[in-house]
Amino acid sequence: MISSDPKQVKAICFDRIHLEGQTGLEVARKNGAYKFLPTVLKDFDSDHIVDEVKKSGLRGRGGAGFPTGLKWSFVPRNTGKPTYLLCNADEGEPGTFKDRDIMRFDPHLLIEGMIMAGFALGVKDAYIYIRGEFLHEANVMDAAIDEAYAANLLGENILGTDFSMNLTVHRGAGAYICGEETALIESLEGRPGRPRFKPPFPAVEGFYRCPTVVNNVETLATVPAILEFGGDWHAEIGVPNNTGMKIFSVSGHVNKPGNYEVPMGTSLKVLIEEYCGGLQHGTVPKVIIPGGSSTPWLTAEHYDTPLTYDAMMKAGSMLGSGAIIVMDETADLIALTRRLAHFYAHESCGQCTPCREGTGWLERTMNRVEAGQGCKKDVEVLNDAAEHMAGRTICALADGASAPILSLLKHFPEIVEERLMENAE
Amino acid sequence: MTTLFINDEEVTVSAGTSILEACREHGADVPYFCYHPELSVAANCRMCLVEVEGWNKPAASCCTPVGEGMKVTTHSESLAKDREMMMEYLLINHPLDCPVCDQGGSCKLQDYTVEHGAKHGRYSEVKRAVVDHDLGPFVSTCMTRCIHCTRCVRFADEVAGTGDMGVLNRADHMRIEGIVEDALESELSGNLADVCPVGALLDKPSHDVARPWEMTRHKSTCTQCPQGCDIVIESRGDKVIRIKPDKDGVEPWICDRGRYVHDAFRADQRIVAPAVREKSGLVNVSWDEAIQASVDVLKDKRVGIIFSPDWSVEGLASIRLLHDSVFKDAKVAFDLHRRDMREFAFEEGFSMSSAQIVAADQVVILGSDLRQRLPILMQGLRKRGNEGKPVTRIGAMNYRTNSDLSADALIRPREWVAVIARAMQQLKDLGKTAAGMDAWLEKVEERHEAGKLLADALLADSCALLVGEEIRSHSDASALIHGLDLMMRASGHAEAGADGRNLIPEGMNAQLLSAVFGDIRVSAGDLLDAASDGELDALVLIGSDPMGDGLFSMQAKRAMGKVPLVQIGAIAGQTSEFANVMLPAAAYSEVEGTFINMEGRIRMAEHPLRSLGEERPLWKVMMRLVQAFGEEIPVVNLTELRARIESFLPEVSGVWDDDVTDDECLLVARNRDANSMPNAIEPAMSLDVVSRYSMYREGMWVRASSYLVEAGDIHALDDLLVHPNTLKDAGLSAGECKVRTTSGDYDYHIGVREDVAEGVLFISKRGVAGDLSCEVMASLEGGQ
Repeated sequence: MISSDPKQVKAICFDRIHLEGQTGLEVARKNGAYKFLPTVLKDFDSDHIVDEVKKSGLRGRGGAGFPTGLKWSFVPRNTGKPTYLLCNADEGEPGTFKDRDIMRFDPHLLIEGMIMAGFALGVKDAYIYIRGEFLHEANVMDAAIDEAYAANLLGENILGTDFSMNLTVHRGAGAYICGEETALIESLEGRPGRPRFKPPFPAVEGFYRCPTVVNNVETLATVPAILEFGGDWHAEIGVPNNTGMKIFSVSGHVNKPGNYEVPMGTSLKVLIEEYCGGLQHGTVPKVIIPGGSSTPWLTAEHYDTPLTYDAMMKAGSMLGSGAIIVMDETADLIALTRRLAHFYAHESCGQCTPCREGTGWLERTMNRVEAGQGCKKDVEVLNDAAEHMAGRTICALADGASAPILSLLKHFPEIVEERLMENAE
Repeated sequence: MTTLFINDEEVTVSAGTSILEACREHGADVPYFCYHPELSVAANCRMCLVEVEGWNKPAASCCTPVGEGMKVTTHSESLAKDREMMMEYLLINHPLDCPVCDQGGSCKLQDYTVEHGAKHGRYSEVKRAVVDHDLGPFVSTCMTRCIHCTRCVRFADEVAGTGDMGVLNRADHMRIEGIVEDALESELSGNLADVCPVGALLDKPSHDVARPWEMTRHKSTCTQCPQGCDIVIESRGDKVIRIKPDKDGVEPWICDRGRYVHDAFRADQRIVAPAVREKSGLVNVSWDEAIQASVDVLKDKRVGIIFSPDWSVEGLASIRLLHDSVFKDAKVAFDLHRRDMREFAFEEGFSMSSAQIVAADQVVILGSDLRQRLPILMQGLRKRGNEGKPVTRIGAMNYRTNSDLSADALIRPREWVAVIARAMQQLKDLGKTAAGMDAWLEKVEERHEAGKLLADALLADSCALLVGEEIRSHSDASALIHGLDLMMRASGHAEAGADGRNLIPEGMNAQLLSAVFGDIRVSAGDLLDAASDGELDALVLIGSDPMGDGLFSMQAKRAMGKVPLVQIGAIAGQTSEFANVMLPAAAYSEVEGTFINMEGRIRMAEHPLRSLGEERPLWKVMMRLVQAFGEEIPVVNLTELRARIESFLPEVSGVWDDDVTDDECLLVARNRDANSMPNAIEPAMSLDVVSRYSMYREGMWVRASSYLVEAGDIHALDDLLVHPNTLKDAGLSAGECKVRTTSGDYDYHIGVREDVAEGVLFISKRGVAGDLSCEVMASLEGGQ
């Protein structure tokens, strides 16, 4: 972190993001990168680090919000197999663009976080699985990793300690599903990205059937601050059970879309009105998709909901990856839903029956509904087909695919009704 | 053990069992497509959803392990709706062509649609159509019907080991693709049609021929290899439509040889009526005339009898009865691969069951193309390899196994003694000895490093030795087997219950054959030579074709025509053109009879197919001959015959009274006095000849099956193969070469392959280069 005084910290992952030349190791070090790493490698032990992360209350920033320290503590020790650390940088959830900024503006923060996490978990080989479209970001990461190797921050005997770790960037090939951790593992192993069923969980049998931790970029980028200032410091930011800061990628009908790192618990309304310059039209949004396109929609009545995992769950949606898509009254929700249905039909891995067949069915039906050629039976079909996909498949893609459809039918049945053939003018 | 509740009923299953398996064990009906007990779990069809109390969503029971106290519900209103929806998802892109689909009537999709599906579908968009592919002669495809359960892909990966089925694309463009050149590579490919739960992969030979409900099922035993798989022959009327593995059988799969041989049951080569040779050729006559003709040919003559081991136990025993009544001095032969007739320390047959072999700490294959010879056992070893357990192989050819071997050594036949000596030395140095070992060792000077692999494996707690044809047909086989026996005894693998000595036999019923014919058997080669040399006056061939099968085709060709021939059998081989009399005997699918497989497992065939023509069961033909020779008939019915069999082989006592169970296996006979010592060989020629058993070529039935002939052509290798260094050493290049043997020179096309041991002339097509297979050594000279 730039400042050594925790009270001065305004942002965690975005602390140094605005600084010129931060991607270079020299500048990054001047700005505080790797400052605390020697202390971690020399004075901390694995249990202490895991405890601090547990204490910090950090929850996975990739979408599911699973407590990171707990995830780490599930990794069995002394199995005789290597333990792998994989960074999930396959940022593919529509609406999400936060990890990309960390990687392209402050790659050393992620590397430092991975070294610390790798040290805590006894990792020899770590990988960053980066979204295929992120060519520039992959190049930035690669250059930063090269510099880190040259400076003995990676490789054998890091900083003269007994700890050695390799870090490799692996580019995906454009499949959304590879952001699902087990599909990511399959893909990294060289197979088509198709999620594995659980159990066994990756912590026990992951990459090459060895113990594996998969963490999101933002999660790993938070680790250096937690270790430098302590888990308790992090736990005090935000609200209980939803601690720390979170980057929100805001897009849609707001005046200043972009990434905002704010303390957890800030309300949706405050984020949109105070940070994002308010809505383009009107005063209340028509639809807010709070955690990426896979999460159920919220409407005006939930405008005041605090941005926490728990509050979003209570409101009937999910904080997800923090990708907030805001729609004001000008949005064509049917077109939006149809486009999302197309996305999921395209991205389904094809493995499970309901998702393989259901996503295509939903898309084709939505195509007709959007074109004004739907009928009442289609509404029933959309509802049934979407409802029986969710929670019946190996991974959560089907849940994501059904969320927009079910949200549309639940919150705006009249809009759909109007568009049906029987009711068209 | 884990205790849980399935539909309120308390059940206990072993820990780690999936909910689905627990439900299956306890009779709770849960529908599924992708699950298969023999394949890994894919969990993709989502048909097997169940409810678990306290869980917020339904669980796929196939991939969810049971938990202590778990409360599982398999039927509820919400599950019924889920299943209805799963059927609807599956059916939106499935064609409505059940009336023309072979699977109709035995289709999971059809059954579940009736049981779980909605009354009508609601899908009104375009349907998917998928391009079919050509997977060769055995499997036909209609990929539009595919439900993407990936059973076939997992079968190809895990069972066949060929990986030639795969999944391409994603979402609803996903499709199952065969990655094949001419045909699926696996010798188990026919199982794909069984594995497919819908009509996407179908049995090609029976495609569009019959409906499942028209067929009658006959439980039987396959005699196409010593494995003797339990099969179900499906026929419409008397016509065999297809052969399938018996669901209640020991093995879940059968090989393509056993499955597709059935068109030979109706081939032109079948002997369906008695016939006698006239000037114009063979002429059909009545049974009486033919029997009389046989008597005329054989009466008071010096007779040699060659028969196939694959007749039923009853048929084989009746051959001995004929011998003892009529041809008391006749020699018999039934093994077309054995040169060395000295006693083997352990007789042909297995001391272990396949399951025990698969579970052993170490398995060593000695000189066998096990994938061709015993495809189902090889599948077990492949499964074992998938679990990371070792399989070692020593032999003349790097035969394809479609699995990873943990250790593999290429040696030439003349090196076997040195290999065994090396292993024996290692055991001896470790203090593991047996009486006779020193004497054996003294006879051999050389040591071959491949012996270390053998010795290392023998040091394990349990070790299964699979002794193959390269040793059994070796001219010093008895000494080699004695050496192996000494080592097995020295390393503790010869005790009852832990006996690891398995000698792969020629065919079925090995245990009976040793007991019944041990005292009168000779080498088929010697017997044929005796006929050529005028020491015999007539030959009787009973279901054997020494011209087409085995090592002695040259001797057979020489003998044929020299002496009169009486041929008795169900199918005619290449010898038939020399037959003076032909008597039809019923095929293995057409008799009520007993069969013993290599493990000593006993099977009864009880509902035979009807014969095509005038065939009689072999034992009746034999008794008729005894009668015609004016001797007293030893047995008049099956009961009496079986009583005689019990006197030959007391171990079978009672099998015809009780239901036989799988764990009752006959033991393999041992010859404790066998103590053949290795002969010092002075190699006269530079190359050792090794010929290959091909499952698509060996056997009269197989050569009469058009399906298997086609497959044999697809899977054929070059006629003769050598290692490139062998050619280099001889200063030759691949192509036309002269092969010099003790019996003369021959021109052959020579192919090159690094899989062959150096110094070996490998005959990959016995049928084509058949005459060479009787040779033990040869050398190569330049071509024209």
